[in-house]
Amino acid sequence: MRVLLVEDDPMIGESIRKGLRHEGYVIDWVQDGRAAEIAIENEPYALVLLDLGLPRKDGFAVLASIRGRKVRVPVLILTARDAISDRVKGLDSGADDYLVKPFDLDELAARMRAVQRRHAGRAEPVVVHGALALNPVTHEVRHRGQLVPVSAREFALLQALLECPGAVLSRTQLEERLYGWGEEVASNSVEVHVHNLRKKLGEGVIRTVRGIGYSITSERA
Amino acid sequence: MSIRKNLLLALLSTLLLLGLATSAATYFAARREANELFDYQLRQMALSLRDQTLQSQNTFYPGFDYDFIVQVWNPGGSLVYLSNQNILLPQSKFGFNTVAVNGEDWRIFTMNNDGKIVQVALPLSLRSDRAAAIALRILIPIVASIPLFALLIWLLVGWGLEPLGSIARAIAKRAPSSLQPLPEQGLPDEVQPMVAQLNSFLARLAEAIETQRRFTADAAHELRTPLAALQLQLQVLERAQTLEDRSDALAQLKAGVRRAHRMVEQLLTLARLEPEAAQTEVTPVRLDRLAAESVAEIEPLAAAKPVEMRLGRMEPVIIPGREKALRALLDNLVENAIRYTPSGGRVIVDACADAEGPLLAVTDNGPGIPAEERERVFDRFYRLPGSAAPGSGLGLAIVKNIADSHGAKVDLAEGVGGVGLTVRVRFPTGQSVPGNSSPGEQA
Repeated sequence: MRVLLVEDDPMIGESIRKGLRHEGYVIDWVQDGRAAEIAIENEPYALVLLDLGLPRKDGFAVLASIRGRKVRVPVLILTARDAISDRVKGLDSGADDYLVKPFDLDELAARMRAVQRRHAGRAEPVVVHGALALNPVTHEVRHRGQLVPVSAREFALLQALLECPGAVLSRTQLEERLYGWGEEVASNSVEVHVHNLRKKLGEGVIRTVRGIGYSITSERA
Repeated sequence: MSIRKNLLLALLSTLLLLGLATSAATYFAARREANELFDYQLRQMALSLRDQTLQSQNTFYPGFDYDFIVQVWNPGGSLVYLSNQNILLPQSKFGFNTVAVNGEDWRIFTMNNDGKIVQVALPLSLRSDRAAAIALRILIPIVASIPLFALLIWLLVGWGLEPLGSIARAIAKRAPSSLQPLPEQGLPDEVQPMVAQLNSFLARLAEAIETQRRFTADAAHELRTPLAALQLQLQVLERAQTLEDRSDALAQLKAGVRRAHRMVEQLLTLARLEPEAAQTEVTPVRLDRLAAESVAEIEPLAAAKPVEMRLGRMEPVIIPGREKALRALLDNLVENAIRYTPSGGRVIVDACADAEGPLLAVTDNGPGIPAEERERVFDRFYRLPGSAAPGSGLGLAIVKNIADSHGAKVDLAEGVGGVGLTVRVRFPTGQSVPGNSSPGEQA
């Protein structure tokens, strides 16, 4: 999952990026409000981690601007401001959650998952579709109950296709969701991942729509 | 000491003295008046006898007070009338006389009455007794009024001092932590200035407390960032799998601890500046020696980057100041310069005096501070947007605080060739530093 981290403190930003990479996230990191706006406008993020005390444009202003443009991406505020008025303002301005620094990395990851769950309209933590079951916490994939080992990118690809089951995502769209700014993407990376997944889970799990992209199919469990 | 007691003591003793003086004066005046009245009476009596044919030995005028002695001599000199056979007075000169006869004083009035000599007399003791009685009776209202006046004075003093009492009660009723101003309406003229001063003092106190509170709140808030970083860095370390990841994470954690440590040190320095300034003595300080010491101590930090450190213009300038604080000022400026100058850069420190006075300057060739930010950088916890080097945001706030307490001005400008930053601290010429008693000398 591709996440935008907006944090101006270099040490905090670095630690969050490293910590969340362990959780399988792909992190793009910006350090001021204007850069955040531009990034959100141009890339599809699954989630935004937003600090409030930012140079060039304050976190609240960024939030107001993206919600004003009807951008639906889930936003989790990370800040040192703990006053009740700030929390209320943050949530009422359109944030989906509000975490006060210092916070625990595990709690951050759990809240990120919760926000994503709600955003996808799911109640259960495990994403179930037909014969597939994806556990975002453990990064386990079960096919017909059997545990199937998959790589981080493969998991991310399945997650992306399962965000809106049946919807078709193009190669470019999948690349945007799987790879961050700093990462080299070979032109056939997505194809390779799809191929590997079909090998592990069966040919029918992912459908190719010629000229458009890929989608997940509804297999019977 | 009590205003009320002093006032009462003064007023009541004055009242008493005045009362006594008045009583004495009244007494003597009354007695004299009485005596004059008696004399008048004697004379009138003598005059009234002029037309009478006198018979001896009997009391003849009804209502005539038998204390009087009436004697009449005929022109030949023989006594033809004597009112009291037992008392015989010598003939006195005409008019009023006081004569002692047989050990008793008599007041005698003698006059010529158609050739006869008429003499009327009264014992002085009787007169003075009566005069005293009259005088004393006159004194009664005066003396009686003294305790009344005393009571009145007591009540009026109490009433006059009442506003002070009511203010004291009003203050006592307030909450212990309340610093609200006291009401100034309806106060007597004498008390009003005192209450006004008290209110201005309360306002200053409230402001000082508020400044402290804001500092503490700001500090607590700002400490969250380095602490949050530490927490995250620790958790990243915990999750590190490979040796390389682990040593990376450890290095990050160390840097984080250093940063947190530095911020706490800066906060403590800032918090201590005012109380220490109040307690530390002002002495003559050699700026060039101070600069040399500061540069020498920071040399390892500079060498590590590496950043070249140089002493520029050094003159034996002496200013009155607090050495420890001035050293902290220099350390902060030099450290800032090193921190924000990239490796290979250069920092120059000057300690000299020019036409405008003693001067400390630190120049670097780093990124500098844009003109529009130069006001704000002195704010506590303010960091330049986009500054890469980790800092507390307190360095310049500390520098400004110390400069202010020495009456010095800090200004920011470009460095050499329009590149980098020069920070100049300009000290006053030969003036006293606040809190100083001895003037400084200049080399």
